[in-house]
Amino acid sequence: MMKDTTSVLGYAWPLVVSPGETIAFHLSSATLTEAEARIVRVRCGDPDPAGPGLKTTRLQTRIDGRVALRHQSIHPGSAAIIPDAPILSGPSFSTGCFLWPTAPLAGPQTILSRWREDLGRGWRLGLDAEGHLLFEIAGAAGAASLRAARPLIEREWIFVAASYDGATGALTLVQRSLDAQAGRDTSGAYQTTGPAGLAWPTETALVFAAHAREAGPAPLTAAHFDGKIDRPRLYGAAFGEAALRLACEATRPSAADPALIGAWDFSAEISSDVVRDLSTNRLDGRLRQLPMRAMTGANWDGSAVQWTEKPEFYGAIHFHSDDMADCDWSPDVAMTVPTNWRSGFYALCLTARDGSDDPVESYVSFFVRAPLGQAKCRLALVASTATFLAYANSALRLDQVHAEAMLEGVIALSRDDVYLQEHRELGLSTYDTHSDGSGWCYSTAKRPILNMRPLGNTFNYVNDTHIIDWLEHNGFDYDVITDCDIDRHGAQLLSSYACVINGSHPEYFSRNMLEAFDTYQRGGGRHIYLGGNGFYWRIGFHPTKPHQMEIRRGMNGLRTWEGEAGENGLSFTGEPSGLWRSNGRPPQRLVGVGFDAQVFTRSYPYQWLADAHDPRVAWLIKEIDLAKPLGDFGLRGDGAAGLEVDRVETTLGSPPYLLRLATADQLDYGGVPTVEELRTLHRGAMGDQNAMVRADLVFFPTAAGGAVFATGSIAWACALSCKAYENSVSRVTGNVLRRFLDPAPFSGFDN
Amino acid sequence: MLVNYPEAAHWPIDPTRQDLVEEMRANPRGPHSDDLRKLLHRMRWTGVGKRYVVIVLEPNRRWMLGRLPGRRGAPVETFPNRIFTSLAAAEWAVFAMRWEALTGQRLDDGIPA
Ligand SMILES: [Fe+2]
Repeated sequence: MMKDTTSVLGYAWPLVVSPGETIAFHLSSATLTEAEARIVRVRCGDPDPAGPGLKTTRLQTRIDGRVALRHQSIHPGSAAIIPDAPILSGPSFSTGCFLWPTAPLAGPQTILSRWREDLGRGWRLGLDAEGHLLFEIAGAAGAASLRAARPLIEREWIFVAASYDGATGALTLVQRSLDAQAGRDTSGAYQTTGPAGLAWPTETALVFAAHAREAGPAPLTAAHFDGKIDRPRLYGAAFGEAALRLACEATRPSAADPALIGAWDFSAEISSDVVRDLSTNRLDGRLRQLPMRAMTGANWDGSAVQWTEKPEFYGAIHFHSDDMADCDWSPDVAMTVPTNWRSGFYALCLTARDGSDDPVESYVSFFVRAPLGQAKCRLALVASTATFLAYANSALRLDQVHAEAMLEGVIALSRDDVYLQEHRELGLSTYDTHSDGSGWCYSTAKRPILNMRPLGNTFNYVNDTHIIDWLEHNGFDYDVITDCDIDRHGAQLLSSYACVINGSHPEYFSRNMLEAFDTYQRGGGRHIYLGGNGFYWRIGFHPTKPHQMEIRRGMNGLRTWEGEAGENGLSFTGEPSGLWRSNGRPPQRLVGVGFDAQVFTRSYPYQWLADAHDPRVAWLIKEIDLAKPLGDFGLRGDGAAGLEVDRVETTLGSPPYLLRLATADQLDYGGVPTVEELRTLHRGAMGDQNAMVRADLVFFPTAAGGAVFATGSIAWACALSCKAYENSVSRVTGNVLRRFLDPAPFSGFDN
Repeated sequence: MLVNYPEAAHWPIDPTRQDLVEEMRANPRGPHSDDLRKLLHRMRWTGVGKRYVVIVLEPNRRWMLGRLPGRRGAPVETFPNRIFTSLAAAEWAVFAMRWEALTGQRLDDGIPA
């Protein structure tokens, strides 16, 4: 029976812990008041009855037993919050900014505000349900509003401004299209007279891209805006359009202007959640829920495509009404990880309604790292947390029209998927689009992640546990290290190990992670890559906030959304993003193979090639019949080569010493090449006609006794356990691993 | 912005192509002939009649018919009296509903074993 995996959800913080450190679990349930809790070490997280099945080991901890549950809310939607200051309560004001709305018809939205929803008082500049600009003021002396005649056009820059004169009660509203030809002109200027001398509500935050629901410096917010806001300005006098336009055009308006209340420069401190005020008043604010930074402003002219080159063109922030980075739940239980625990994949297991016809079994994942300098084994397996985060809560199969065609079959939803369809407040993955259609570029771990835990959808986390299960079955001692630690500590973390394994899908790599593996190989490290589509996207981790990653998809690669022009530099680090192939570091250069195709119809066996007979790799094919296909079985599509596959390409860096041992190059029409493999489009590119659509199995030695073995297929890991672990895929993997743990150098390759 | 337009799939439906119906009935999970692939692509890309899905009741054993609501946050529509014990049976059932939506022809229930 399918367990109820969603009635209680949670996240562990920190996601990765060292032995001896404290970990807290932040839980919520809308329906349960309690659950049974225990900690497990995960050996196999895949419930597939055709495989090893779910395998966990219970560990005694102080958490064991009943845990009380409560409902904790999630508040999606990003905004900038500036706490109240006396200068914000002056009698008159004017405000303006450039605006690029992305969902003007999504419902009422607030752009710039000092408004209290609980009181219905203050002022706000926003959109009504029909996408018309709306300026409202309200106080004890009365209320007034102005509505623009024509709705905003989606994804068109516009200048907007509003003013209130406390002496006369005069209100103005301006909407000025920046490109006013060919039907795009929605400009208009409006005025009316409202009550004079309005007094503003006290303790009211200034909010951009939403308004406050309540008093205080950190209020809950509502009416979140979708789109970009560029160079917001606020003055303590009722200025006309021309003066406000000048103030917004200027990237640095005069701070000495006595009328200036605040001028916010979103191009400052882009990697942080701070929004800086250029005025002397220091009305700096905080961003909530990670809106997208390093976005082109209305002044961007294409003369720079990276924000670091001309930050003055990047004064915009793209806010989304569904941005979600931090649930901010209170912790419910905590424990200190005993110092004698092995590193590995762990989870808090929560069960309820045991013995009923709908039992609850929900997991909250965490990882216990082998810390730097504390290697216990000669072998390390890398937990690909960047990839787990990139895919966290993927709604691709729910939202994207191509999913059923791409997967070539009816979509099968798990209970997690059904839950996610209804509960978008969990925040989606970097494969998804926001509700306004723009791509999701950040992912964080301060939220429940449904597909990074035992019983989760197959891919990434669950598939990688097949490697853990196989290592355990074969009695290999191993540490688990994490990619975020490799990002942080570099090659020194890897060099403690004779051999390091990347799992089924190490797709997302930061520059330092890539450099660390390169250094490791050059220093004699033995590197095993048991997956496909690895080392593919260039990402960044946040420099100070753990478990936050960023990807800008750009214009190349197999991507479910396309980055906008000029917006493909990482806001966290200032680096370019996109494919490593487009960044001069194709995966072939590191591991011999690189992504070429996906195949979801079924998986395929490899056929051995002439290089497999090379006596220098006799150890690799021990007890293998080279006349037989390799891996004509597997839990994912009945083959070891499938899902996402990689191939050798000398022009992209596959090295001269490389031995191409086996290939699966008959992938049929379900084998679909990735876009960067195609120069021009023509018929005949699919796997039934194109031998470049394939998975290659390779070995090559590196400097100082190092070596690389790569399988070039995601499906490989899910074939390890077939036939009770007695199969060719398992045997080859074991032969390689044993040889890679043997320090003897690989001879016969020089000359 | 790069958009996938579901209405872009326009391979013409020929209601007289009973051969494709029978090919699908005999082998719902493929591999399929070139023309059947095109028919399936038309159906799957456009999601005619909303997007039918199956909901896993028991991993690899039992599935229930469902339909995506086409709106984020809305629940998946479920059909508790339409349970499948193979993905092939589910594939065929979805095909039959889409064939009817596109051609007006009701296919008899011949769900493959
Ligand atoms: Fe991938």
